[in-house]
Formats: sequence, structure tokens, C-alpha cells
Amino acid sequence: MTSGTDSRSPGALAGLRVIDFGQGVSAPHCARLFADYGADVIKVEPRTGDAARHSGPYPGDLPDQERSGLFFFHNTNKRGVTCQVEHPEGRRLFLDLVSKADVLIENNLPAQMRAWKLDYATLAAHNPRLVMISITPFGQTGPYSEWNGSDLNAYHLSGASARYCGRPHEMPLEHGTFSADYFGSVTGAAWGLGAVFGRDLVGGGQHVDVSSAEAIAAAFVGGQNIGGLAQDGRSDSRTGVGMPLGAPATILPCKDGHVWMLALEPGQWKGLRKVMGDPEWANLEMFNDMYTRAQNADLIYELMADWLMAHGKMELMEMCQAAGCPVTAVFTIEEAARHPHLQARDYFVDIEHPALGRVHSLGAPFKLPASPGGPHSPAPLLGQHNQEVYGGLLGLSAAEIERLQALGAL
Amino acid sequence: MTNTLPLKGIRVINFGWVWAGPVVGQTLGFLGAEVLKIESRARIDMTRNLPPFAEGIPGPDRSLSNHACWAGNGSVTLDLKHAEGLELALRLIAESDVVIENFGPGVMERLGIGYESLRAVKPDIILFSMPAAGLYGPLEHVRTYGLSLTSLTGLDSLVGYKGETPIPVENAYSDPFAGIFGSFAILTALTHRRNSGEGQHIDFSQQEAVMQMVGPAYMDYALNGRSGKPKGNEHPTAAAAPHGVFPCSGDDRWVAIAIGSDAEWAALVAEMGAPAWATEPALATLAGRVQAIDQLHAEIAKWTRSHHDRALTDRLQAVGIAATPVLKVADLLDDPHYRARDTFIEVRHPLGFDETIYGGYVKMSRTPAVVKPGPVMGQDNDHAFLNILGLGEEEYQRLKESRVIY
Repeated sequence: MTSGTDSRSPGALAGLRVIDFGQGVSAPHCARLFADYGADVIKVEPRTGDAARHSGPYPGDLPDQERSGLFFFHNTNKRGVTCQVEHPEGRRLFLDLVSKADVLIENNLPAQMRAWKLDYATLAAHNPRLVMISITPFGQTGPYSEWNGSDLNAYHLSGASARYCGRPHEMPLEHGTFSADYFGSVTGAAWGLGAVFGRDLVGGGQHVDVSSAEAIAAAFVGGQNIGGLAQDGRSDSRTGVGMPLGAPATILPCKDGHVWMLALEPGQWKGLRKVMGDPEWANLEMFNDMYTRAQNADLIYELMADWLMAHGKMELMEMCQAAGCPVTAVFTIEEAARHPHLQARDYFVDIEHPALGRVHSLGAPFKLPASPGGPHSPAPLLGQHNQEVYGGLLGLSAAEIERLQALGAL
Repeated sequence: MTNTLPLKGIRVINFGWVWAGPVVGQTLGFLGAEVLKIESRARIDMTRNLPPFAEGIPGPDRSLSNHACWAGNGSVTLDLKHAEGLELALRLIAESDVVIENFGPGVMERLGIGYESLRAVKPDIILFSMPAAGLYGPLEHVRTYGLSLTSLTGLDSLVGYKGETPIPVENAYSDPFAGIFGSFAILTALTHRRNSGEGQHIDFSQQEAVMQMVGPAYMDYALNGRSGKPKGNEHPTAAAAPHGVFPCSGDDRWVAIAIGSDAEWAALVAEMGAPAWATEPALATLAGRVQAIDQLHAEIAKWTRSHHDRALTDRLQAVGIAATPVLKVADLLDDPHYRARDTFIEVRHPLGFDETIYGGYVKMSRTPAVVKPGPVMGQDNDHAFLNILGLGEEEYQRLKESRVIY
């Protein structure tokens, strides 16, 4: 049981106040990283709630805005308030919150923030020390900044899918999760916390403009490809196999699922041969180096098939790793969730939630021994901390909060 | 105009190699830290010898991908197998704030630069370690490549065509992801040090950090006991439909379309000319569209096939639909958006050639990143040994000649 606040150390980011004015995945996850490590994060939602509340997974697939697993995962350790920023009194409250904050994290389309008169220039006038982290598919400037977009659009605009994921001539693929949103999230967290850390040195706050598509196009695709494109016009595309220039290097089926089969360096190939029981075919001269093996990859994969189908993925991983060959099992979600290694490292936490009950969730993304972090309190119910935040932090009376509620400002 | 960057005054020693570790240093470097990568001609990092090379001439200071991925790091050459090399590394660490490494667990100790040794020379040092599966636990010595690390998180089990088995992502998405994420971890520890005076040894398991990306599928397991499977480009939590990539005219051209609301669906139906199949009342709601998603996607693909990806994007965006072309590597340099944002920049390398790398991909309104070319081996030796450590000129020459500084 990890809820309860008594024995916890304050966390590395204690003393920072963060307003999470995001929905869905990217900005809420970024704000959760600040919350994981001790910042006081206040989530500001419209009356209808963060869009993630209207998405599953729900227990038993029964929609309920207080029981969304998607919302829960990205909003632990936060306090939650409601605020209608399009209402003049709601906007005033939002500006009061921003005045008392170090960081604002949001992922609204730039035109929407301007329509609410909550653009960076306006917010900076209220709080010059504010670091505003905006995480959007395309960013705040440039011809696509007015486009509507989602994780899917950002990912496919980065070049990552056409280059690295899918079979040739078939549709390029996203990774089956919110890959662009998460990339944008960690990018915003890193650059944004950098801006906070150096705030006094550089003379105040600033706007941290993250385009998820651009971050991936640069740091993932660009890093490996852009020099060759610019100099030689070189533009490679996806092949559908793991590593076209070496073999074995792909995902292969085995008795109970799949393994990531990798044996490139001479020692790794030698180890694999041994584990396979030194079959005659593997001793052929033509299979001596990874490049010639790559030219015969289909043949090799066929020759390995019987052996692979006779063994389970965990067994294959253990045997190969012991022989110096970096084969890993392709864990299903369940296998990852139940793996003894992650249990031994206390990666999981149990959190009591008023509507979901006890949730067994993923813990801290990294371990800071001197200032431990990770989720400990449940995601807030919609408007759960209105009294606490508007009363305690902004000093409004109960009657005033009630008046604002009746006006539709909250 | 002077541009004081946020991490000015923070010095980082980076033992990171290949990709993830150098990206940690790069991110801190883009934010203004002084990052000195320690490397040696005695064992040159394999990525320094990856083609393509500048002007087609091979050499460890001419790999274009290495330069892009390492820009932001400086370079100091030291052979740590020499006792004197190790001692010089420790003396540099004594003058630094952060040490980065991405070896396996125990390697730093064997080299003589484990956390306790670092603390002995710099009590409040922050050591950042990013082994594949963390510093301890049953899998602590697991060996992975960047592109297969994701198999240990469950993520790879989600990638593929709908109804099929997993297919590999062909490069290490987790390397830059964990590299950038790692710099956030270091910044939390720097903040803690500022508040408390305490350093620490960060245990950054790439498995655990990258597994954050599996959160939505993990929650479906935690709440419903289900393990997700590949489903193409469909929305990860079925909260949008249609949600896919559709063929366009030309070779390998595609458009990505995500319909997040009933109003957007109505707009798409109108753009398609309101065909009978699309005006079925059942499709007016998300639940109905999720139910019929295979048919929907097949019909939309028939419609998009004759359209140009960019023309169709413009047309759909004009009515508020989230559509984008699917870009290929060849499209990146000429893309008007990336051009407008200076995503890729041409820089003059100290060896005299021009090369294209990526620039500050986050736009900071007060402190834009200043990006220089990838480091030449040993480019910061003079600064490190003469300025920071104050070695005499003779001593410096002797260390170079005896290949300690090498």
C-alpha cells in the first residue's frame, strides 16, 4: 500500500507548482513526470473533463468518466479542479492559478489558446517567471501549426513510419501506442525542466515549444538519415525485417510466441550455433559473417524454424543470453506486467482509487535513491479539489466558490 | 545579443557510447551545459565509423549520422586502461557536476570509476547510469540492442498489421527516447542537489522508462486482464475512428487520417461526396464506427487512392480534419514546415566540410539552442587539461606522447 503521505520524502521537485492544462496523453504525461518527482501539480479540466476520461480502457468496458484507465495512468499524484476558461470569470481564475505557478503544461492547438486569450504573451504578462511547455503535434509556428492533428498524424509526419515500420509497399505503421505523444512528453519534460532550472540565470520564464513530429523527425529519423540525404540524396525505406544489413536480426516465431533473434558479432553467432546444437548448415562457410548471412536471411530463418518451434521464448532467451547471444523474448503485456525482474525492482505500485478500487500500476520511470519518486496518490475525480485549491491556494470563500459554480465558471 | 543558456555553468562528463548515452549529453548540451565526452582512439566508438561519411571519405571524424546524434557533446580523449588516464578522468570529474554512462551494471566499478570512487573526489556528484534493465535484479545482465530493448517492455507485442504477428521496428526508437528522458532524470537530481546539497546515483532502467509508453495497454491488462495485440494504425484505446493510413496516388504515398469526433466524421463524409455506405446512421457515433472499422477503412482507402497526399491533406485540413501526408526520409529536407522551423541545419565542420544535422528541435523563446557540429575526437583536450585541470605544457605533451591522452 503506497498511499498516505507521512513517510515519503518530499521529492526532487518539491516546491515547484505546475498547472496541467492538457488532455489526452502528451501534456498530462509530461505533467505526471513532474508529479512523480514531487512537484505540486494541479490539473485544470473543463466541466466535461479531460478527453481521456471519455476513453477506455474501463473495467468491464463500461464507460464511466471516473473509471478510465487512460486517465488514471496519466494523472496520478495530481490535484484536480474544473474551470471553464471561455467564461470571463473562469479565465480570471485560470490566470490567478497561473500567477501562482512555476510551470504550465498544455497541448491545445495554438489557435485554441489564442481564442481563449491564453497565449504565451498574455500569460507571461501575468507571470514573467512562468515556464510554459506546449506540446502539440506540429508546434506553435510554421505552416502546419494551424492544422488539426493527433498522435497518429505527428508520428507519420516524422518520417519514422515510412522509414522504419512496416513491409515495403504496405502501409507504414505507428507502434500501437501513443508513440509521438510520449516522445513529445519526455522532450517537453527535459527541455521544460531545463528552462525552470536556469530561470534565474537567464532572466525569467519562457515558452518551450515542442512539436512531437519535429522532435521525432530530428532526434530519431534525422539523426540517422539526414546527413546522407543532404549530401548524397540517400533515402532508405522500411524493409519489414529488423536489420537488413545483418542476420539473424528480426522477430521470429517460437513455440509460445516470438523472440527478437539477434546474433551479429562473431561471438554471438558462435553462441547461437552452440545453443542450436551445432547444426551442420550453420557451419557453412557462407554463414561466417553477418553480411553474407543477411544475403541468405530467409534461408537461415527457415533452417532455424524447427529449433525455434521446439522451445519457449523465455527458455530461448535464457539459453541464448547465457551463451553470449543477445536474444530476448518478445514479452506480451501480461508477461511484462508479471516479470519477476520488474517485481524484484518494485516497479509496480498499488494505489487506492475511490471509483476504481485498488489499482496495480506502473511505478516510477527511474529511480532516484536520494529523492525517490513515482505515483502514490490516485488521479483526481473531476473537480475533486475545487474547494482545496480555489479556497486554499487562491483564498476564495466557500460562498464565492459556490457563486462561481452557479455561474458556470467552474 | 548574448544568449545565456539555462544550464550554463553545469559541467558534465559523458562516458556514454553509441546512441542513447550521447543523446543524454546532447540534450544537456543544447540547454547550455558543458558536456565533455570521454573517448579514446584505443577503442573508437563503432558509430564513429558508420557510413555515410562526409565527402565520401571514411574516417572516425567523418560519419554524418554520428555527428548528428552526438552534436552538443564535446570530446576529450583519454585511454582509461592507463592508470594515469583514469586519474585524469577522476580529476575532471572532481571539477564536474554530472557523470553519464550507459555501460552494463558493474562496468564502471571495474574501470575504477564506480559511484563510490566518484564520491570520493566529488561528494555531491550525480552519476547517471542507464543500463538496459537497471542496476540490479534478475535481468541486470540482460544483453539487448537498442532496437530489441522494447521487446522487454511489451511494446513490440503491439506493433504490426491487424490480426497478424508482431513485426520489428527497424531502428532503436528507445535510444533517443531514453536519451532525452534521461536528461530529465538528471535535471530532477540537479534540482534536488540545489535544494539539499546532495548528489546521488540515478538508476535509469531503459526497460522501465520505455515501458511508460505501454501505459494504455498496460491499464487494459491491469483492469481487464487483456494483453493487447497488433492492430495496424488503429487508435490505441479505440477512442477515434476512422484512424488509419490510406494509400494515395504515386509510389509509396499515404495519408494519415484521425477522426476524433462525430463532427469531423460528418465533414469527412461530405468531402467523400456522401456515399451510401458512409451515411449509414450507425456510423454517426464513435461506437458504430469502431464496430465497422474494417469496412470503413477499406472504403476510405478506395476513395483516397486516386488523390495526391498533399492535395488531399490540404482539402481535409480546410474542413478541420486531422490529416497529414506520411513523409519519407526523402521528403524531410524540403518539407515547408520543417524548413520554417529550422529542424535541419547546415553547419561547417572544423575539418572544413559542410554537413546537415538536426538543430534545436525544441523552440525556446528566451534561450534558443545553439547547435554546433558533432565533436572532433579530442577537440576539447586543450580546454580540459590546460584550463580545467591546469596541467603544465610539458606534462600535457608528455601525456599525449605516451598515449594517455589519446
